[in-house]
Amino acid sequence: MPNAQILVNWLLIGSFYAAVALGFSLVWGIMNIVNLAHGSLLILGAYVAYFAFTALHLNPFIGIILAMLALFVVGWLIQYIAINRVIRAPLLVTFMLTFGLDLLITNLAQQFFTANNRAINSSLAGVNLTLGAIVIPVQNVLAALIAVLLTAALSLFLARTRTGNAILAVGMDRDAARLMGINIARTYALTFALGAALAGAAGAMLAMTLQFQPVDAGQYTLFAFVIVALGGLGTPWGALAGGLLFGLATTLSGSIQAIGPGLQTTVAFAVLVLVLVLRPRGVLGKAFYS
Amino acid sequence: MNPSTTSAREGAPSAPEQAAALLAVAGLDTGYGDTQVLWDVGLEVRRGEVVALVGANGAGKSTLLAAISGLVPAWAGAIRFAERDITHTGAERIVKQGLIHVPQGRRLFPGLAVEENLKLGAYTRRAGSPTALATDLERVYTLLPKLAERRAQAAGSLSGGEQQMCAIGRGLMARPALLMIDELSLGLAPNIVDTILAAIDEIHRHEGLAVLLVEQDVQIALERADRGYVIENGRIVSTGTGAELLRSTTVRAAYLGE
Ligand SMILES: Nc1ncnc2c1ncn2[C@@H]1O[C@H](COP(=O)(O)OP(=O)(O)OP(=O)(O)O)[C@@H](O)[C@H]1O
Ligand SMILES: [Mg+2]
Repeated sequence: MPNAQILVNWLLIGSFYAAVALGFSLVWGIMNIVNLAHGSLLILGAYVAYFAFTALHLNPFIGIILAMLALFVVGWLIQYIAINRVIRAPLLVTFMLTFGLDLLITNLAQQFFTANNRAINSSLAGVNLTLGAIVIPVQNVLAALIAVLLTAALSLFLARTRTGNAILAVGMDRDAARLMGINIARTYALTFALGAALAGAAGAMLAMTLQFQPVDAGQYTLFAFVIVALGGLGTPWGALAGGLLFGLATTLSGSIQAIGPGLQTTVAFAVLVLVLVLRPRGVLGKAFYS
Repeated sequence: MNPSTTSAREGAPSAPEQAAALLAVAGLDTGYGDTQVLWDVGLEVRRGEVVALVGANGAGKSTLLAAISGLVPAWAGAIRFAERDITHTGAERIVKQGLIHVPQGRRLFPGLAVEENLKLGAYTRRAGSPTALATDLERVYTLLPKLAERRAQAAGSLSGGEQQMCAIGRGLMARPALLMIDELSLGLAPNIVDTILAAIDEIHRHEGLAVLLVEQDVQIALERADRGYVIENGRIVSTGTGAELLRSTTVRAAYLGE
């Protein structure tokens, strides 16, 4: 494979990985919750986009918006009904709760949508730009641009708006935020809903560019965890940096003959072990903007 | 005023000084988990008054402020503010009524700029127009010019004195009727303490801001206070005008090292 092709593949998959981790890092950074249901929310987003395309014949890019809206609502409900009850509990309790949610959602998805592999085959799916020997799939480029756009939008929202600043304030000091008049339960619900909406967007991109089925959920949670460990938790740009680093690892290992493609999960585990050994603080996390 | 007057029923005709009680705490018990920290605490702040609360480390001063501002739930007793019962009102809703708590240790949002911290102080004033917000920012910057210089700097990178200015400024942005300040002078140079106290005094004199001042530095607090309370082991043990308490031999012995 020419080096320029590896570069293109890397940027495309890296941006997608950034989208995979964006909502996960927001929820972790603000709420100090490692959301093990993140991958299953992402898969739900993939189904929303898939059915919007197959049943409603909507453009896949509209499917991204629909997936975000649907997952925003799902995220808000999950937070308000379940997670707000254990928000002051130790990390292990939220771990168990989100793990349980993950199993529940994955099993329900399997029940209702079957374990079949799905993908959106839109008219754009086979369209490529070719530059000499380099092949650039148009749909993936658009998805990557949306991923970067979402990162920038989240960053601007948090840094520049009143509500975004309130979210950051809650992440930095919950009691001090209450003394400003900020409602914690509502802020957490909004944060979790945004995290779920971003998972939904990543799921819709997944449906557009790759294949998916319910049991893939765990893999994407693992990816998100590794990406955040690599990029750090400080700001949304950390997810982009982590996504690109992780994309580099999977692209390079995929281009080595002896390893070959299709081993992303193994690579993810290997990277995770490396990070744990070399930079254990990377996975401890710190609040957004602290 | 004696403590029993604080339990006057709502709507009952009241003496002028009763109507003037802005904050009234009566029979307050509270603590953390199973540990009781406050016993039968009574305290009042009238409109426009400066009241000092002094006591040793661990006496329960910060806990009392946290109970008033709604961060720590009351176990027993009653807290009224501006003629309303706020005993069981959550912290985020008490703020809207003009009761503002500047906590010990400042508790700024370290990653946010000074100006963003100040704007969060005005968070509940959603109805206020953007110009009102801008006017209030300018007012804080005029009172504490150091903050204007530092407006774009992250609050976490300020010096201790600047942080305290930012915390007070953030409190003022809420347009409080009562400002409760926990450990204003702790660890600060005297000239900085003077600057901050002058800023507060300005708003106290011109807009009738009431202040509840918690201080380790008993001299600073009682000199400026109309009245004061002494708290020991979670109980109010004496009260009087600032001057009376400063003259009292027990206060002088316990807190001024005489
Ligand atoms: N969050 C908490 N959890 C458990 N106990 C606490 C907590 N905060 C304070 N305490 C305990 O309550 C008691 C009163 O503490 P408080 O902070 O109210 O005292 P203080 O008068 O403000 O002291 P200082 O002058 O040191 O600030 C102390 O015994 C303290 O250990
Ligand atoms: Mg204290």
